[in-house]
Amino acid sequence: MVLLGFVLGLVVGIGFWVWQQVQLHRYLQPLTSHAYKVLLPLIPRLRQEITRVKQQRQDLQQSLQTYQDLLNFAPLGYLQVDEENQLVWCNQQARKMLQLQRWQPGQIRLLLELVRSYELDQLIEQTRNWQKPQIREWIFHPSYDNAPAMLEQKSLALRASSLPLYQGQVGVFLENRQPLLELNQERDRSFSDLAHELRTPLTSIRLVVETLQNRLEPPLNRLVNRLMQEVDRLINLVQSWLDLTQMETSPSFQLHFESVEVRSLIVSVWETLEPLAQQQHLTFTYSGRETLWIKADRSRTYQVFLNLLDNSIKYSHPRANIHIEAQILPSKDDFSANYLEINIIDSGVGFSEADLPHVFERFYRGELTAERNSTTAIVGSGLGLAIVRQIVIAHGGTIKAMNHPETGGAWIQVQLPIVMPNSPSQDYT
Amino acid sequence: MDRTILNPETLILDVKKPIVKYKLVKAVFDDPHPDRSQLTRAIRHLEQDVLRMGALVEQSFRLSHQALFVRNLTAAEEIPRLDKKIDRFYRKIESDCTVIITLQAPTAQDLRCLSAFMQLVRDLERIGDYAKDLAEIAIKIFPYTPHPSLPEIALMSHHAQAMLATSLVALADLDAASGRHLKHLDDTVDNAYDHLYQTLAHQRDVPGVVEPILLLVLAIRYLERMADHATNIGQRVTYIVTGQRH
Repeated sequence: MVLLGFVLGLVVGIGFWVWQQVQLHRYLQPLTSHAYKVLLPLIPRLRQEITRVKQQRQDLQQSLQTYQDLLNFAPLGYLQVDEENQLVWCNQQARKMLQLQRWQPGQIRLLLELVRSYELDQLIEQTRNWQKPQIREWIFHPSYDNAPAMLEQKSLALRASSLPLYQGQVGVFLENRQPLLELNQERDRSFSDLAHELRTPLTSIRLVVETLQNRLEPPLNRLVNRLMQEVDRLINLVQSWLDLTQMETSPSFQLHFESVEVRSLIVSVWETLEPLAQQQHLTFTYSGRETLWIKADRSRTYQVFLNLLDNSIKYSHPRANIHIEAQILPSKDDFSANYLEINIIDSGVGFSEADLPHVFERFYRGELTAERNSTTAIVGSGLGLAIVRQIVIAHGGTIKAMNHPETGGAWIQVQLPIVMPNSPSQDYT
Repeated sequence: MDRTILNPETLILDVKKPIVKYKLVKAVFDDPHPDRSQLTRAIRHLEQDVLRMGALVEQSFRLSHQALFVRNLTAAEEIPRLDKKIDRFYRKIESDCTVIITLQAPTAQDLRCLSAFMQLVRDLERIGDYAKDLAEIAIKIFPYTPHPSLPEIALMSHHAQAMLATSLVALADLDAASGRHLKHLDDTVDNAYDHLYQTLAHQRDVPGVVEPILLLVLAIRYLERMADHATNIGQRVTYIVTGQRH
């Protein structure tokens, strides 16, 4: 009995030992199998590996340092915040732009503690939430803690482009647009001064030409007639420029608001342009309500549609159709009234993708236009759309230029706020 | 007068304390008090919201200045929109504070911080309201010819704005000394108020109606109140840091 117990214990013990050995073997398998392949002893190899890793680390550190130096030296501002909106790092330019002198490298502070810019904070939050690069422009007002400094404070027009990084960090590039803005204003101002100076002599030239026109005999007469046309064109251009400048500088320039019925206004514009349209056998269609009342400046609104339809006619292929669609849409927020959306769609050549962001700029002519100019000779001041945009903005509306997906032609969308009731009962006027 | 001034060393220590603490929380890997770090983070979020609200109030104040002294009425129209946002922040911060106090059992300093925040946002909100009032004055006063003492009022407004900026910087840095310094800055605004009041009230032979003068008196009153609220913010900051009221 004792013997049996002893044998049983021995068997269990041996079994346990074998099992442990197997386990140990399996555990060491990856290590030993690797060691078989390597003929060198382990220690030197380990040393070699360590030096290699060290070298690699040094290289990486070096390149990191290089990048940081480059970023520090960059002409753009750069700053990076972590997931808690704490400033991790910023470069020299960013420090100058945002007046971050209080911040020292290595210090962990909330960005908002250092620069109280609601816009910048919003941009960073949005970038993190949407995980998409964002671009925003705003006027940054540095805050000062003493009154005399505030008197000569300089606000900056900033453009920030932000990028979501790993672990909820966000990187922001800052661009100082102030010099550009000032340059632009300076340019526009000097151009307007020039236009002012040109207007008076042009008027006198016109008077002289007018007197000549009546006194000259037929062969010379023709030349003077042409001269007259060109002078008129110049005067028109100068006047448009001055109008545009005036609209831009005084946002609430004299608009004489009255009740305007948009549909009949558009029809009358079309009638004015009919001779031009007939040369190319163009047709015109309108869809929408019969009467659309808005509060607007009649002559300015007329100018808007005149310029837009004139453009459509110029760029349309012969025998095409120009379509205008008008509808009243509910407002996007609760504060404002409903607005009127007018779509002007032609089936001409449309805008090229590269031109789309610039079509409302002064004197901007698309590349396509330049090409076409040689064949069909499209004349215009280059200010038409710029004036349209300014008028629409002065009315509190918006304007967009697109290409229509179906016709392939230009698609101009104008949205104007409506202050007039447009219910059927009040349509009797 | 007060003890903290007599003992500058404790003051400095106190000022540095919060920053060190936040760093520690970050550094300690195995935090023995997980609740603590959560609380710190919650307070940090709250602080961000307060500063955001501060930025909006500053913007509002700046716009009202533009409206009143540069006759920029588009600036005046923008203020109500900002004011709505400010109010939203005010309510949010207040309810967040209450939630933290009831649920997370904060310690002495944190509790001081939270209660100071609650009162401080009230001050900020009041400043925002006064900015709105100033914008309304700007619209009413627009048709009249500018009053000769307008530049002096503009300077007073600049002083008040600078005080608001200082108070917010003091809050961001948790700087008790600069919080206390605001009291002295407030004297400048108070003096300007007294002087302007005398000038406006004792004006003789007023041509036309008195509305512009009335409006200006109201304006300087509002500016003076705004400066007072900025001073209050400074005092709350001192309270957060030192635990002493003045």
